[in-house]
Amino acid sequence: MISCRDLSVTLPAASGPVHILADVHLDVGEGEFVSVLGASGSGKTTLLRVLGGLQPATAGSVSCDGTPIDGPANGVVTVFQDYANSLLPWRSVRRNVALGIEQQLGKPERDARVDEALDMVGLLERADDYPAQLSGGMQQRVQIARALAMRPRVLLMDEPFGALDAMTKATLQDQLQGVHAATGATIVFVTHDIEEAVYLSDRVVVLSGRPANVGLTLDVALPRPRNQVSTKEDQEYLHLRHKVYEALGHDVGEQAHA
Amino acid sequence: MLSRVNVSGVAVFVLGLALWEVLVRTGLLTFTYLPAPTEVAVGLAEVVENGELPSALAHTVTAALAGWALAGLAGVAAGSLLGLVRRVWMYSMASLEALRALPIVAFVPVAVLLFGFSVQTEIIVAFYAALWPILLNTIAGMRTKDRLIETGRVLRLSRAAVLWKIRLPAATANIVVGLRLGLSTSLVLTLVAEMVGNPAGLGFLLVSKGQALQPGHMFAGVVVIGVTGIVLNAIVLGLARLVFRGQLTSAGEV
Amino acid sequence: MVTGTLRTPRKPGRTAKPTSPGIGTPARGLLPLVLLLVLWELTGDPQSPYFPPPGSWLAGVEPLVDNGKLLPSLGETAITFVLGLAIATVLGALVGTLVGASRPVDRALSPSLEFLRALPAAALVPVAALVLGYTTEMKLVVVVLPATWPILLTCRTARRSLPPVLLDMSRSLGLSRRERTIKVLAPALLPAVLLGIRVAAPLALIITLLVEIVTRVDGLGALLGAAQSNFLSAQVYGLLTITGVLGFVVNWVVTRAENAVSVRMRGTT
Repeated sequence: MISCRDLSVTLPAASGPVHILADVHLDVGEGEFVSVLGASGSGKTTLLRVLGGLQPATAGSVSCDGTPIDGPANGVVTVFQDYANSLLPWRSVRRNVALGIEQQLGKPERDARVDEALDMVGLLERADDYPAQLSGGMQQRVQIARALAMRPRVLLMDEPFGALDAMTKATLQDQLQGVHAATGATIVFVTHDIEEAVYLSDRVVVLSGRPANVGLTLDVALPRPRNQVSTKEDQEYLHLRHKVYEALGHDVGEQAHA
Repeated sequence: MLSRVNVSGVAVFVLGLALWEVLVRTGLLTFTYLPAPTEVAVGLAEVVENGELPSALAHTVTAALAGWALAGLAGVAAGSLLGLVRRVWMYSMASLEALRALPIVAFVPVAVLLFGFSVQTEIIVAFYAALWPILLNTIAGMRTKDRLIETGRVLRLSRAAVLWKIRLPAATANIVVGLRLGLSTSLVLTLVAEMVGNPAGLGFLLVSKGQALQPGHMFAGVVVIGVTGIVLNAIVLGLARLVFRGQLTSAGEV
Repeated sequence: MVTGTLRTPRKPGRTAKPTSPGIGTPARGLLPLVLLLVLWELTGDPQSPYFPPPGSWLAGVEPLVDNGKLLPSLGETAITFVLGLAIATVLGALVGTLVGASRPVDRALSPSLEFLRALPAAALVPVAALVLGYTTEMKLVVVVLPATWPILLTCRTARRSLPPVLLDMSRSLGLSRRERTIKVLAPALLPAVLLGIRVAAPLALIITLLVEIVTRVDGLGALLGAAQSNFLSAQVYGLLTITGVLGFVVNWVVTRAENAVSVRMRGTT
């Protein structure tokens, strides 16, 4: 579905060009849930922005379904970490969710999609409220609903639950699982939370090094649907988690010497 | 101050002037009395040489500064009183608000009516113009910064000490802003008074050059006025930073 | 929420008092002014060429009403003011947004813009009069230039501090450039525009009167100047009061508009 080959991104900075990503190879299959894991500043957000067409690659190629990505692609929607500022405060929840589809669809179909999306994130009864009246977790769900209303084939998520408290995070993680199961969308999920990555994904890709490259790739064959309690006590889960920590810890140690 | 010269900025400015020159010379801009930048430069030289500009500049600046200084004294004093004593504030603020709605410029004909064509008119207009920003900013600066005042109480400072050591320094940033605004305002209104009332100074220079159909000289006068404003403002700010370094740093003004 | 960035911080002293008397400022503060006027009325001499009492002001303005000059002049002032403010708003919003969107453009244009900003409106009046003649268009030009700055500055600041995620998300959702501008950028900058208007409006009124007083083209300022030349002191004070009322109304309208839009933009019902 998504394919990156020799992807490199270099950005200009005051002290000279900074190489963020170098020669990244990544393949994401249709319907897969892939987590991109890495420390802060490791380039994972940059990678996601390239996939989302918000940032051009300096070298290499990125394509979705064979078509090269050179701008926000049809069917690919990004969900951002800064949920509060991503919603339009002067629009109701309903109208926020409709933002991406109102130009293309007529009213009846638009309303149906909005209701469907809000229902999927469990916010249908707050449809006529304004973002300022919602909690952080709810605002993020509205953003997700807005993406879902587009019926995306690919959902790119940039640390979407990073700013939320642990309990809200757990709830939203499970809701996302439900969305994944219901829609079959391909999800690329960026996070620095190791537990979250292993818990949610079919595959974990660890980004490490400076400039960043794909370090460890791990297949997560845990059964679905997953459970916050039982899955996290599963031997296989703990084993995978251990391996990821190792991969990242190794990386940190190397950097300390460099 | 300028760690890196703003090359593109200077380039745009110079290009702008060049464009203006070309448009006027080739007759594309057809205003009879629009001079090209080179004519303005020549005009500036002429007007400086024959002494018209220096004397006019001195006159305007003196009048503006005189009015401003008086306004500074009166404004800070009155503003302090109003800011510190709640009673006084409650029984006079609304009147000030009402008076403030009157556009200052409309007072110039009144001043001319009362004081005639004289430099006193200029100074009084400058005074009235500068008074408002100074007064209002001083009031704002003096009005309670509760936590700071509490600190003073905790430290058992006398009321005078609280005033001198806490309130005044805290208000300094506001007062300096008021003084700077007051300076620009008094300069502008002095010019108006010279255009409408007293036939002296830069304001009158502009008007008379206009009537004499000498655009080169007039534009030169405008440039000088602009530069004067910037220079005076910079001087006040520089002095303030020198004398009140601590207070201004805390307010983020340094 | 976006409120922290949309409500651009005001420089201290720029708009020192956001309230009008009666809202936040105790109304009893009007006492000194009222007392002054009453005292003046009681002790003033209607024949005084310098301080005619308030009661005589109405009579002083009457001749202008009789010969049909007052209302049209008021209209001329109002039209110049409104039109000038409108043009300044469009100009300021466009240039401000442009400059705020791109650091390189900002660096390139700033020195020239700052230079233009340093020229006081009063100095521009004789210049405009000479170059453009004694016309209403000339008045408009003089008003527009200085009134543009507050709006330009607030829009520049607002655009600079606009959360990047707003434009990122609208691109990600596939909105066209036109949609992004109309549905996201413009509403996001609207509070800043109104804040700029709130500062620019009194300024525009002052400059309108200024140009009218100095050039005597038309409007209230021209009447004021004429009354002063003819030593009609009661008329001068009367006209002064009228401009004061005009100033008060302008402030009131603009403040209410800004508050209304801010509330709407923050999405509280």
